[in-house]
Amino acid sequence: MIKTKTLLMSVGSVVAAMTLSAGTAFAGCATDGMPGSMDRPGGFPERALGMVVPYGPAGGSGQVAQAMAQAVTELTGVAINRDHKPGGSGTVGMTAYLATPANGYTVLEHIDDASSAHALDSGRPNPAEDLIPLVISQITFSQIYIRASEDRYTDWDSFVAWVKAQDGKATIANVSKEGSMERINMKYLTDSTGMKIQQISFDKGAPRYGALAGGQVDALFEQPGDVRKFLDSGTFKPILTLLHSRPGAFADVPSLTDAGFDFEPLLRFRGFYVHKDAPADRVEWLQWAFQKAFCEKSYQDFNESKYMNLIESFRDSDGARELITATIAQYRDVYKQLGMEVK
Amino acid sequence: MDPFGNFINGTVTLFSDPLGILIFFGGVVGGMLFGAIPGVSMLTLAAILLPFTAHLSAEHGIMLFSVIYCTGVYGGAITAILFNIPGAPENAPTAFDGYPMTRNGQAGKAVGAAVMCSAIGGTVSAVIMMAATAPIANWAISAFGPPEIFALVFFGLAVAATVGARTLWKGWLSILLGLMIAVVGMDPVGGIERYDFDMPYLLAGIHFIPTILGFFAVSEIFVQAERKATGVYEAPKLSVNFPSVAELIAHKFAVVRSIVIGFFCGILPGIGATLAAFMGYNEAVRWSKDRKAFGTGKMEGVISSETANNAATGAAMIPLLALGLPGGALTAMMVGVFQMHDMEPGPLVFLNSPDLVWVVFAAMFFANLSILLVGFLETKTIINLLRIPFQFLAPLILLLATVGAYAVRGLVIDVVVMFIAGVAGFFLRRSGYSVAGIVLGLILGKIGEQTFAQAMQMLHFEWTGFFNRPIAALLIVAALLTVAGSIYSAFFRKDRQ
Repeated sequence: MIKTKTLLMSVGSVVAAMTLSAGTAFAGCATDGMPGSMDRPGGFPERALGMVVPYGPAGGSGQVAQAMAQAVTELTGVAINRDHKPGGSGTVGMTAYLATPANGYTVLEHIDDASSAHALDSGRPNPAEDLIPLVISQITFSQIYIRASEDRYTDWDSFVAWVKAQDGKATIANVSKEGSMERINMKYLTDSTGMKIQQISFDKGAPRYGALAGGQVDALFEQPGDVRKFLDSGTFKPILTLLHSRPGAFADVPSLTDAGFDFEPLLRFRGFYVHKDAPADRVEWLQWAFQKAFCEKSYQDFNESKYMNLIESFRDSDGARELITATIAQYRDVYKQLGMEVK
Repeated sequence: MDPFGNFINGTVTLFSDPLGILIFFGGVVGGMLFGAIPGVSMLTLAAILLPFTAHLSAEHGIMLFSVIYCTGVYGGAITAILFNIPGAPENAPTAFDGYPMTRNGQAGKAVGAAVMCSAIGGTVSAVIMMAATAPIANWAISAFGPPEIFALVFFGLAVAATVGARTLWKGWLSILLGLMIAVVGMDPVGGIERYDFDMPYLLAGIHFIPTILGFFAVSEIFVQAERKATGVYEAPKLSVNFPSVAELIAHKFAVVRSIVIGFFCGILPGIGATLAAFMGYNEAVRWSKDRKAFGTGKMEGVISSETANNAATGAAMIPLLALGLPGGALTAMMVGVFQMHDMEPGPLVFLNSPDLVWVVFAAMFFANLSILLVGFLETKTIINLLRIPFQFLAPLILLLATVGAYAVRGLVIDVVVMFIAGVAGFFLRRSGYSVAGIVLGLILGKIGEQTFAQAMQMLHFEWTGFFNRPIAALLIVAALLTVAGSIYSAFFRKDRQ
């Protein structure tokens, strides 16, 4: 119990540290201090690397995998072949990855779904212990969106009041899977406000965004980078940021603190991993390559285009382990509160 | 400027640029080739080309993908017709009647009909796209939510039992088998794990491409091998006779109906050409006076499927360009091309980059027209593949199908699934069950289950809520009447006999 509390405090401090930075421009990049080159251990890698991506090429994971692969190649000259194995909320890709040789030639892209899967079933791999995190290169927060033209409610307070008046008939588009980051954050919100809202699960982005744009649902739970085009075009507008301070790009949107909530929101994060049994010298080279590639211009431009620069998106291996471990503990805690069976 | 003037400007821009012309024709040929080879679909080509588009201008990159989309959807029809191997899922219904036409010595007519109707469907759809992209996109997402899409799928399934089975009951059992296969893996809404038998790979479900390859290509090889072994094998008669103008005019209603259906399915985000092809085929069956002839080599089946899937291509660009909502995998990759050029598809594209939009519109229009020219030239040569003796052709098809199944996700289990489906399909076909029905159940079942669960959440788990939404109510009532009508006619015919 003490351990869980400690970890929850750790999540809190992680988020707090990020929110303190939110809205400020980062003067330098996280790995600017690392050496610009590194000797290849024993000639490794002598051929192209492989990257297992447990999601399709067009989604958030596919895009970050493509951007990171490009950045690593620009930095090292080593090509990376991406192998997309979608399905089962990342389970298929993880299983396929674990079946590859632990020689450092194949890396894995994965998101926080791997952490929540382990939190629910400890038989599933723990990304912090069963794998070695090379880098976490995207960390982002969620927001609640409504149509910009909506006149039934125009801000968070009026939205909550309107939802309560609907007596459970109001709807919000969300991502599928019980126990997911989205579901847990929504539970925090509904518990904190006392509102009842029907969550409609859409596993693909386009139908989810179309549902809000077309008026099929009343609101949308999403991360800002995924809906940036709708924000830039004035189709959607955020009414709540699930952070405790306001990121600069959303200075006029209330934060959790502004709305009077004290829960620690779960974050979306994407990173890159390698087998824990891979040779240490190769792991060290991969850590350098992926962490240094984070600061390549092409990757930084990519992250900026996805609003991934509003809070610090970088975690090295130790930072990644800390974030993953804290996140798993937080998920477990909530699962138990929800009465879900935690194995 | 008016749409016509914009179109002329787009055309001039497209064809006054040598690099643009090169990319255009590269896309036309590449889309057809990759569409025609099982396993290496237009998506494979698009995935290969995606990083290289960073070195092209935004106009050229988006134009290339849109051209590949148009011609790739057509390309898969060729192998569906000649060898019972749909190049892509949206060509599966084309095989239902296209391949029997080949066996009946009408390969030329089938391919010719596919060429003509793909071009017509795609071109008309491109014209509508140019005329009214924004209002159509807004109407589609407002009028069609999960309840309406589920009702549309239910409407499609209602007639599917009459496709390819010996009796109505076997038709329904075939569809139910497809629906059962569709529920393997995580449920699409709550993420609940089902029927995975502790095999992580099954959590992703049974993919429909290996299933299609198994039920169609592999089972057909087994059927023909049995015929060869028992001495009753007959090689398909070679024919390059294209359908006459009169034959095509006779199917004008099927063409118009399929354009409407294809366009309609194409504009729904996340639905796209596959549902369009199946719905186009199903409606051809529904409105036919000779339903039993479908599945035995009826040209209307090829016409309906190919018109509808190409009509969906132009339509799928509408939500993408007007709202930034991709209709399928290839249009989702186009979002990536936009983003590589610091652009986002959506309403701002029309304001900020009208030249790009109209070059793309013009390219799609001419890509669909070029299907006519390249398609006919290609047909004259590709039909000669039927001259290859069965003992050489069969291993080649099995090899292609195996590569195709593995290429979907790089998983061996997909190859295993393909061969299981092949063996099952061989015995099911002998027993009068419909492999077309199984595939229909599988593909429509996945979409149907997801939209049903979403609809029930939206309707607060009150099923009567479907009847408070006019479009959903109309489609469900029409589906129920179709089912009742088919059951009645099955009993009525039995009584008469």
